[in-house]
Amino acid sequence: MSADGNKLNADAPLLEVENLHVEFDTYGGTVEAVRGVDFTVEQGQTLAIVGESGCGKSVTVQSIMGLIPMPPGRITAGSARLRGHEVLGRNRIDGKEIRGREIGMIFQDPMTSLNPTMSIGAQIAEPLQVHRGYSATDAFAEAVHLLEMSKIPEAAKRARQYPFEFSGGMLQRAMIAMAISCKPSILIADEPTTALDVTIQAQILDLMQDLQKETGMAIILITHDLGVVARMADEVAVMYAGRVVEHGSADDVFYRSAHPYTVGLKEAMPTNDPALQHELKPIEGSPPDLFAPPRGCGYCARCPHAMQVCDVQPPSDHFLHDHHFSRCWLHHEQAPIKPETIYFKDAKA
Amino acid sequence: MLSYILKRLAQGILTVWFIATATFFAMHNVPGDPLTNDRAMTDITRANLEAKYGLDQPITTQYLIFLRNLSRGDFGISFVQENREVNDIIREHFPVSAILGVLAVIFAATGGVLFGALTALYRNRFPDYLIMFLVIMGISVPSFVVAALSQLSLVTFNNLIGFTVLPVAGWGTILHMLVPALVLGLSTMAYLTRLMRSSMLEVTSSDYVRTAKSKGVPATRIFTRHQLRNAILPVVTVLGPAIAAITTGGFVVELVFAIPGLGRYFVEAVQQLDYTVIMGTTVFYGAFLVFMVIIVDVVYGLIDPRVRMET
Repeated sequence: MSADGNKLNADAPLLEVENLHVEFDTYGGTVEAVRGVDFTVEQGQTLAIVGESGCGKSVTVQSIMGLIPMPPGRITAGSARLRGHEVLGRNRIDGKEIRGREIGMIFQDPMTSLNPTMSIGAQIAEPLQVHRGYSATDAFAEAVHLLEMSKIPEAAKRARQYPFEFSGGMLQRAMIAMAISCKPSILIADEPTTALDVTIQAQILDLMQDLQKETGMAIILITHDLGVVARMADEVAVMYAGRVVEHGSADDVFYRSAHPYTVGLKEAMPTNDPALQHELKPIEGSPPDLFAPPRGCGYCARCPHAMQVCDVQPPSDHFLHDHHFSRCWLHHEQAPIKPETIYFKDAKA
Repeated sequence: MLSYILKRLAQGILTVWFIATATFFAMHNVPGDPLTNDRAMTDITRANLEAKYGLDQPITTQYLIFLRNLSRGDFGISFVQENREVNDIIREHFPVSAILGVLAVIFAATGGVLFGALTALYRNRFPDYLIMFLVIMGISVPSFVVAALSQLSLVTFNNLIGFTVLPVAGWGTILHMLVPALVLGLSTMAYLTRLMRSSMLEVTSSDYVRTAKSKGVPATRIFTRHQLRNAILPVVTVLGPAIAAITTGGFVVELVFAIPGLGRYFVEAVQQLDYTVIMGTTVFYGAFLVFMVIIVDVVYGLIDPRVRMET
């Protein structure tokens, strides 16, 4: 927790999101982009939110950050509490801005996410001036230090340069330096490596892990790359059609996958391990239309194990144990097939 | 930066030379003779002029004489107005046009940026609709109509309250300048407003403004530090041509408001085929505009670091 965050309740979870619903008005009608998302993030942890495009992962974190344009966006229900304080729709605790101070965020495309007419140093210095009351000179000196922390060589010179003089990977490092400038307790990374090539991806992920060790911040990592998840995450939330369908520790979700969608994602992942060599199996069909969300389970239409009940009634959370749940009817005691027989066949251990 | 400015100045000189040459030959292709007008001209005067400008020589010789005089900054003596040097005409009347033009450009630029930002801020709400309606009017109504209408309303207003607040025509004090400058800058202001509106809207939905929000930067600071500077770039780009439009458009406004500017000489010289005045005013205006465009480009480089590097 940051130095001036002493009013926050240290016993409450770092970030607790409950029953979040977000809608967008469009010409075609109302899209229910997020339909009841819950998760909790604890200090020093990395939560990965996985799912395909349009499943609501970005909308979820952007509503926590107050970045959803309203209108057309609308948060219809739910709450997000930072150490017990509601932040949804207000971005403030006791009149103090939390964005940039308690929660930092980095984005998918570093090339366009930085102001082209402002020097890198000045942009990193800005949160310090706004939140910490640093003078411009002090903030700039600190920005140089932050760039060094982000492993940018010749930081003093680089700080005076502009975004167009940086490579994509360097820009993402600068974005990270900017996001952590006020030592936030949470770093939200919205597909931070999608726009970068593979070697740079690894460097950026390493940097995030190093900084997490140094500062003890939590990371919420949004991605559709299961390789990135395996490398980074402590906890994984799998999202589909605006809902979390499976949530658990990274080991649980990978090795004891308990939702047909998670299994589908794993099978659709290319591998170069000869022992695991199997045909790349895409998930047939496309996600449901969220203008008129299905009554039952969102994955029903694409699920190879769908039953009649799946079509009419949404599944409730079935806990396999304390921290691992799956929203799937197959876990019901009356289900005809034992989920273990289909789900755990790829399990290594 | 310095080498860039020097390079641009060299290019500018080349441009002015090209303007001068093109005008010179175009002018000589107009049928008629500047010395045959109704005013009596003694044979001696005629002989002197012919000798000085080589009017009885081939056109290439005349061109070389012109270039030699130009390089010495001597535009010669008017063929039509007795004993008036072209340099004197410019010296006397250009400051008036320049003040009017500069004032008009200031009105146009500040008004355009201000109203453009306002319409973007109030997008699809009443202030946006109102300003955009006025913008369409400003672009489509020609300046001589606006000039006459503004004079009419000034007269009515002054009559109504019994004394002259803003004079209807003439030149002298700052009060004389306000209305003509506003009229002169109006269509440019309207154009810049539209430009600023669309560029502001684009910037508002940009990724870096979202980043600034995610940093918790207050809205006013986002507006001044992130939005304005980026949104203003397209406006600065067209400011060069806008200055050209305002300066050359000044003639009509100067005429309506009885302002002793250079515009009248510029136009009358062409009608009377007053060779030296045509060349003098054209080259002078050309040089002025080229210089303005260079200044605008330098300012652009100061605002946008990307342009600075490419030099």
